[in-house]
Amino acid sequence: MSTILEVRNFSAWYGHYSALSDITLEVLDHEILGIIGPAGCGKTTFLRSLNRLNDLVPDFRVEGSIGFWGVDIYRQDVDLAALRRKLGMVFAVPVPLPGTILENLRLGSRLNNRKADAGALVEKTLRAAYLWDEVKDRLHQSAFALSGGQQQRLCLARTLMLEPDVLLLDEPCSGLDPISTAKIEEALVELKRELTIILVTNNVMQASRVADRTAFFLQGRVVEFGLTQQIFVNPKEKETYEYVSGRFG
Amino acid sequence: MRRWIKFVGLAFTTLTGLACLVIVAMLAIILGNIAINGWSILSWEFISGKPRAGMTEGGIFPAIFGTVVLVLLMTLAVIPLGVAAAIYLHEYARQGSKLVHVVRLALANLAGVPAIVFGLFGLGFFIKFVGAGMDHAFFGGALAFGQPGILWAALTLAVLTLPTVVVATEEALRAVPLSYREVAYAAGATRWQVVRHVVLPQSVAGILTGTILAVSRGAGEVAPIMFTGAAYYLPYLPKKLNDQFMELGYHIYVMTTQSPDVEATKPILYATVFVLLVLTFALNFLAVLIRSRIRRRLRTA
Repeated sequence: MSTILEVRNFSAWYGHYSALSDITLEVLDHEILGIIGPAGCGKTTFLRSLNRLNDLVPDFRVEGSIGFWGVDIYRQDVDLAALRRKLGMVFAVPVPLPGTILENLRLGSRLNNRKADAGALVEKTLRAAYLWDEVKDRLHQSAFALSGGQQQRLCLARTLMLEPDVLLLDEPCSGLDPISTAKIEEALVELKRELTIILVTNNVMQASRVADRTAFFLQGRVVEFGLTQQIFVNPKEKETYEYVSGRFG
Repeated sequence: MRRWIKFVGLAFTTLTGLACLVIVAMLAIILGNIAINGWSILSWEFISGKPRAGMTEGGIFPAIFGTVVLVLLMTLAVIPLGVAAAIYLHEYARQGSKLVHVVRLALANLAGVPAIVFGLFGLGFFIKFVGAGMDHAFFGGALAFGQPGILWAALTLAVLTLPTVVVATEEALRAVPLSYREVAYAAGATRWQVVRHVVLPQSVAGILTGTILAVSRGAGEVAPIMFTGAAYYLPYLPKKLNDQFMELGYHIYVMTTQSPDVEATKPILYATVFVLLVLTFALNFLAVLIRSRIRRRLRTA
């Protein structure tokens, strides 16, 4: 498999606070990369660095490079809007925008002044997010009327409507019930055939279930990075072992 | 000792309650007095007629008309300017930067400037500087805009209301959750698109409400228009932007202080105040109506 994202000696700061230090890892095309680690270890910062969403945070500063298909995304001339469509993000808390389900799905095309997408794409993404059967008869109803789990799957579909190369998921199942969680996990495994997924999760077992490879973050560093099986069954580092076996975190 | 504490507690409750009662009583007295004394004078002739006999008789239509046009012109001027400034401050400028600090300081101080100073500013800046300059440039020195007129009065009021509109708009922008903005940015929106597609649709109710309240407050101000366009008495309605005009607040001031026969003017005065209050309350009511309608639309959308 080819490398889609190449992170080299990447460090990040919020003002004087060092959030990430010297991260080096690569993401392969069509894999699910799980990122685990205790709260405050920098995993969300890392994810939000990949689509440069953290540029919105005042005093956020980075060093090193992140190559996306070989081009450094932190170069001055990068088109941020285009970059963020290529690396679509789903947030921890479902954030449907006020409006109907369909309007939510068409957010991307509205922003790009494209004509409303064909119904086929709407159906395809809703099916991919395991939501089609539940909403196909009420696409014109408010997105707020959906349950929390449905809202999160709608957010997943809304991101898929952008037809991204990479899906950035920031704890997408925190606060969801087990059934919704299972549906999202199924969706992710299916989606792997079409795109690359980076899954930040607080739920260690979730990473072991769906990730091909897993990176364990601790205090802004990558402690261990390898095949998921190896991280969970035979970790090299003591901290990894303690974290995945539930000793701390 | 315990009894003393109990007594203090009771006294405090009573005093704070009384303070609230005073507020309600004040409004009730003002409204009651004006309604009782003004109501009997109100008639269609009063609303639609012109003042007669040195304002001791007749109606107030020119003043109503002038007030409405003045408020419309001022709204047209202050809303784009105020909303644009607030959007820049809240959505574009880097928070905590020197520029934002200076602008906020300017706004706070502008809000504290007495209304009469705005009146003098309008006279000095709009009429003597801008107006006279326009006359010189476009009218060959003939007197057109270098004199008090409804445009200058409206612009002076707009400057007076500007800080309130900016603050109200910022308040409405602040109410839009950060997560909405992030979703839009993450979907590839530019800053302008975030404002256009997410922030403005979400805050339009708050912006309108706050702005209308600010405008209705400014509509009753007399001092800023005294030197900039309001007329003591005019037999005709303003037709051009540089015409003078009659205005309800100023009309009340004139009838109170300059009337040749104070006793004869009194009933008309009451009725005029009544009309001014009704107009102001109507604006406030409109603001509440817009807010609740848009809120309902957003909830059920």
